[in-house]
Amino acid sequence: MIMETKSRSIIAMAMLVILLAGCYPQGPDYVEDLDVVITDYKPSYDFAAKGTYAIPNKIVKITGDVIEGDEPQFMPDVTATAILTQIEKNMTALGWQKVAYDNNPDVLLTPAAWETTTVIYWYDYWYWWYGGYYPYWGWGYPSYSTYTTGTLLMRMVDPDVLTADGLPVIQWVGAINGILSYSYNATRMNTAIDRTFAQSPYLKTN
Amino acid sequence: MKKLLFILFIVVSVPAFSQNLTTLEYSMGFGTGDMGDFIDKPSFRGFTLDYRRLVQPNVGVGFEGGWNVFYSEESYAVYTQENVSLGGRQWRYQNQVPLLFAADYYFHPDETINPFVGLGIGTMYSRRNTDMGQYTLEEDAWHFALRPEVGVMYEVNPEFGFSLTGKYYYGFEAGDLKEPMSYFALNIGFVFK
Repeated sequence: MIMETKSRSIIAMAMLVILLAGCYPQGPDYVEDLDVVITDYKPSYDFAAKGTYAIPNKIVKITGDVIEGDEPQFMPDVTATAILTQIEKNMTALGWQKVAYDNNPDVLLTPAAWETTTVIYWYDYWYWWYGGYYPYWGWGYPSYSTYTTGTLLMRMVDPDVLTADGLPVIQWVGAINGILSYSYNATRMNTAIDRTFAQSPYLKTN
Repeated sequence: MKKLLFILFIVVSVPAFSQNLTTLEYSMGFGTGDMGDFIDKPSFRGFTLDYRRLVQPNVGVGFEGGWNVFYSEESYAVYTQENVSLGGRQWRYQNQVPLLFAADYYFHPDETINPFVGLGIGTMYSRRNTDMGQYTLEEDAWHFALRPEVGVMYEVNPEFGFSLTGKYYYGFEAGDLKEPMSYFALNIGFVFK
């Protein structure tokens, strides 16, 4: 009878553990749920006293090695224009006026982007060890999957504020990071850009 | 530590009453204090396994092990520290694994309905993950832990019964977690004698 009780208890416990393991929380369901927005700024900089900005009409991709002589690469015009339009819309809403680069802007806003692809590769790794004892098992087919993350970086500098080395000081930075989908999703990108500026209310000018 | 060794000694050496109680319970958890602030939703994923050796008809000593997973999905929010703001959704997980020596006092050991009180002392492992974007912040701790308990057993036959217990776990500040970790657990289960 004692043995029976123990067996029942072990079986009940095993079933409970399997049940709990099966319903362990799984996390996000949609790729846009993984989008994050990061902003940082220099509190000593008086954004409210400024009013004009210049922005390039292309978005450079951070890739290759320009110092070694590689040509800079740019995001496709259609995508870049959509992103730049949304950035400008937010800047206008905060009271900024867009001017040409050679028209002495108070600040320069420079967007850039890069991608990182991660490859997850899997094969029946154990075969090297005891595969010889069970030759009919074989290596099996390796499998892999990839995902690519993209980051859009926006940096604001004042051309008149330089470090001792003559380099620009970044007064504000906004970064959007997420997993890239197969096609450009304007709603998703616009939402992220809007959120970047919404969480930077100190950018508002007088 | 000497007390823990003393309890362990009693568990393994007292042969006067050979009867044992093994209790397997489904456990629902409700975070309190810092844990309740981190995840305000109850946990419906958990179990405990209790073993008691009856050193007196109304006193059982033994051990308890368990696992509760707390989980919440947060809406989009902005988290600001000094000049840096981070916006996104968070997925929060907290795993609690208490491992305790325990002693119970049974008020009506010979009756069908047997209420009891108990105290557990030992350690509790906490692992907290805050997932945001493709990143996770993982913090963990091994706490010194206390666990008062009230409960009642319903005896179906001399070898089997049901249990209903309320337990409060309190792990003192330790490791990466800067606050004590505590939660209340409501458990229902089977008792094997």
